[in-house]
Amino acid sequence: MEAQVRLRCKELLSEKKVAAIWGLREKDECAVPFLFQNPEEIDALTLSPKFPLSFTCRPSPETILSILQKKMPGKRIGVVARGCDERALIELAKSERVDLDFVEVIGFPCDQAQAEECACSRPFPQNPIGGNKVAGIPEEKAFQKLLALELKDRLKFWEAQLSKCIKCYGCRNACPMCFCKECRMEQSAYTEIGWLPPEFPLFQFVRFYHMSDHCIECGECEKACPMDIPLRKITKYLRSRMEELFDYHPGLDVKRKSPILTTVDEDPVKELPHEL
Amino acid sequence: MNDNFEPRIVGFMCNWCTYVAADMAGVARLKQPPNMTAIRMMCSGAVSPLYVISALKKGADGVFIGGCHIGDCHYQRGNHSTLKRIMIVKPLLEALGIDSRRVRLEWISASEGVKYAKVISEFVDQLKELGPCPLREA
Amino acid sequence: MNYDNVHTTCPYCGAGCRFFLQVLDGDIIGLLPDRSHPVSQGKLCIKGWNAHEFVTSKDRLTKPLIRKGGGFRETSWDEALEVIARRLKEYPPDAVGVLASAKCTNEENYLMQKFARVVLGTNNVDHCARLCHASTVVGLVKSFGSGAMTNSIPELEQAKCIFIIGSNTAEQHPLVARFIVRAKEKGAVLIVADPRRITLTRNADFHLPQRPGTDVALLNGMMNVILSEGLEDKSFIAERTENFEAFKDVIRKFTPDYVAGVTGVSKDSLIGAARAYARSSGSAIVYSMGITQHTTGVDNVVSCANLAMLTGNIGKPGTGVNPLRGQVNVQGACDLGALPNVYSGYQSVADEKIRKKFEEAWKTPLPPKAGLTVVEMTNEAEKGNLKALYIMGENPMVSDPDIGHVRKGLETLDFFVVQDIFMTETAELADIVLPAASYAEKDGTFTSTDRRVQLVNKALDPVGESKPDWLIICELAKRMGSRVFEFSSPSDVMDEMARLTPIYGGVSFERLRLGDLQWPCPAKDHPGTPILHKEKFTRGKGQFVPVEFKEPAELPDAAYPFILTTGRTIFHFHTGTMSRRVSTLNREVPTGYVEINADDARTIGVGDEEMVSVATRRGSIKIKAKITPRVHKGVVFIPFHFAECAANVLTNPALDPVAKIPEFKACACRVEKG
Repeated sequence: MEAQVRLRCKELLSEKKVAAIWGLREKDECAVPFLFQNPEEIDALTLSPKFPLSFTCRPSPETILSILQKKMPGKRIGVVARGCDERALIELAKSERVDLDFVEVIGFPCDQAQAEECACSRPFPQNPIGGNKVAGIPEEKAFQKLLALELKDRLKFWEAQLSKCIKCYGCRNACPMCFCKECRMEQSAYTEIGWLPPEFPLFQFVRFYHMSDHCIECGECEKACPMDIPLRKITKYLRSRMEELFDYHPGLDVKRKSPILTTVDEDPVKELPHEL
Repeated sequence: MNDNFEPRIVGFMCNWCTYVAADMAGVARLKQPPNMTAIRMMCSGAVSPLYVISALKKGADGVFIGGCHIGDCHYQRGNHSTLKRIMIVKPLLEALGIDSRRVRLEWISASEGVKYAKVISEFVDQLKELGPCPLREA
Repeated sequence: MNYDNVHTTCPYCGAGCRFFLQVLDGDIIGLLPDRSHPVSQGKLCIKGWNAHEFVTSKDRLTKPLIRKGGGFRETSWDEALEVIARRLKEYPPDAVGVLASAKCTNEENYLMQKFARVVLGTNNVDHCARLCHASTVVGLVKSFGSGAMTNSIPELEQAKCIFIIGSNTAEQHPLVARFIVRAKEKGAVLIVADPRRITLTRNADFHLPQRPGTDVALLNGMMNVILSEGLEDKSFIAERTENFEAFKDVIRKFTPDYVAGVTGVSKDSLIGAARAYARSSGSAIVYSMGITQHTTGVDNVVSCANLAMLTGNIGKPGTGVNPLRGQVNVQGACDLGALPNVYSGYQSVADEKIRKKFEEAWKTPLPPKAGLTVVEMTNEAEKGNLKALYIMGENPMVSDPDIGHVRKGLETLDFFVVQDIFMTETAELADIVLPAASYAEKDGTFTSTDRRVQLVNKALDPVGESKPDWLIICELAKRMGSRVFEFSSPSDVMDEMARLTPIYGGVSFERLRLGDLQWPCPAKDHPGTPILHKEKFTRGKGQFVPVEFKEPAELPDAAYPFILTTGRTIFHFHTGTMSRRVSTLNREVPTGYVEINADDARTIGVGDEEMVSVATRRGSIKIKAKITPRVHKGVVFIPFHFAECAANVLTNPALDPVAKIPEFKACACRVEKG
């Protein structure tokens, strides 16, 4: 399948259907995102290992694609994308950070091992150019054990886990969906700053809340966390709630706005809180 | 439960409806518990989830949000946002280990002073059962 | 459009994390952590994530500067180097000194010590390792024959017991703390000995809050418990060590009762911790400034070595004695000879055979006597004996003890040159300031704390007229008539280094492009050495060194009733030249503070965030108070990063007699409102 992807990339470049392709390149025994501009360079294009931050250039909140699109107005850029990469693109387009009209998605599916490593429920883009789609891992697996705990044990669990946090902002930096120019996690109005660990649970709370309608299941937040904090237990749980309440999945339909931003007529709440 | 425990409630109340109802309940000397710290908001839709969690962290045992009924919002759709947000804040609190019944969203119009007093009373009873918010010791 | 990912090493701490700088059309637009790196594994701390912001700060020095009245005027490289070349020649070797830089590359440190020895004829070359791990370099050489971390950072995950003493690992070496936390989650026992309730005490099985400066008593106490309960590794002691009996004699008096009295640590904790360390199948000691920065620094380090040898915890994965070096390349600066008593590879200047080897290689007669250390240079400058000083990438006006005294010394100098990337507090006093290139603007290598040699790759052209330090040193040397500074690249310099330095013998840029190498790496096909002292110690047998307990040089008294201890915070780095020019870090901690216990604050009558003045016999500063349970009653803590409320105005320049490291970690102070 790598060969198929490379072939397609070479075609797109040599036929000038795209001005450049954003994909992974092998360098120094690593795979790192790179801007391929000539068909010959594509020989070094690789698909694995899955790399974080396909669209970020941290610590700036800008998305690399929006920087590239500004530098190459009117030109199409190809993006070699797994399922999560494509979902990220769609969400970025919703927030007008990327113009999808000038993006050519070269999608490919993840294999079973990768799907399991990411515990991903949808390990493929919408129109992969080859390979075999594998069934995803149901999302409940990530948070079943957490929900099985009693409330007070859950709190103890998170107190222990989040007290390991060293405020590296890795979770925020790695997330393709974290692009606010003024990041709430940085604002001292809500949490005391300058100390470790950051105030529990305020520091991570806002990000969890934002991820409820943005998380595209790439798993990079956990991969960037030096302290192995299992962030996805919460983000996946909130995703499942969004699905149950509104039938909403971030990253699948560029035309569908987040239900949090719409009225109750446009996106009715399927279960009301007990008090209402 | 400790019988002496008096839960502290922070109430974010919409200026156009719930706040008026609360006022009315006070003027009419309707029986209502004194545990409430009222914060007047121009719209329940201006209540950020961060205010909710901050309140619970800084000593509130419960957070009450009072807004206009759907369709009656002074700003047309502010309360739509409130409802949508609370639908996420509640499971987030639960996932973290905080009972989501500590956050209560009610639509209370300006004339519903009686409803207001009843709701707050119920809320206090519920919180007495739940006990002090565990975030306070955290 | 030109896009590239430049693979390089983080310029902050000794963990040696790596990342890729994303460069688009000549601008650094971002960075990507290196997922395949054995230590950082795709993660970084908050400083690492922001490691390129200061590179393009508008404060960067861009032109050589020459003193004019109370300030400077810009000048050309030609004039600046001509003046320096001319003036440095005026001084005899004893009257001139050089400070190399723990922030500069191995090649640059090697060249700087070569410059001092070949061109200036002096062994007065040192750098800030003197202020941090000089005790390690001396102490571990005494015990093991090699003064470096015995194991590797990733192995810590395999330890069954980790004993951290004098290291706030989660804040100072966050990516090292990662492995410690992982070990703990796998069931390892964690013992933390620290006067403060530092972050890792939260996860610790034992927190031993020893009074600052009582580490020898604590360690000897643990060893007393181990010996009295028969938990020592008898076969290891018999086969691999010497001098055990003399050591055993001294340990006798360090009973738990005695130690509890001296250190303030409870008997039960002491005994529990000692048993846990001795009984585990693989225990690692992790230490840092908390034990090295004392007048008994060498004693403290040697006691750690004693403890490891006593229990056979050497030479196996997940064990060992692991000093965490602070600066990105302080290990390398030491390795490559930026020290007054050794050439590169810790080869002694006093040894005739070795000196001859270097004299032949460098084609110059070399001075045989060891030179002055950092604090000694300041002392001699003040006395007027040291007349000229050339400093590269160091900021003694904030990092050295007793800043008042440092200022006097530097102001007394006849001729003073500073080479740096920013106008530091030290550069302000210089006669000539040379603009240097940052880590992102040059090639070279750094050696991290676990002896890992890694490449630094150029991502940008040096800003303005700044030049890489290695180029500046070579140009200056050539102007002063030397013919042995012809290098076309840092790779060239590395080749010469490898030829003369057995532990770096097999290191080359070519090999490093394929992966890092941990020294000793003596030959081109040698894979490097993750674990030292596996079959035998570098000196043959490990040496037990009996150590008596001595109090710190200055104890609290009626006039100065508090113990002042200094250290760092995760959000800033050392003298703040780089980190205080990063917006995210400044937002977290914009200025200094003194941590004070609530009881003490009440007694003094001061509230949280109120200004206090902290005074010692050296000086006084005004600083904001932070009331926190992190410090115990009677102890206050000040991070040393902030020049405007510099902890080092207060610290005691008393030195360890052999390592000459100052006692930053304990002195007497008073704290008053306002």
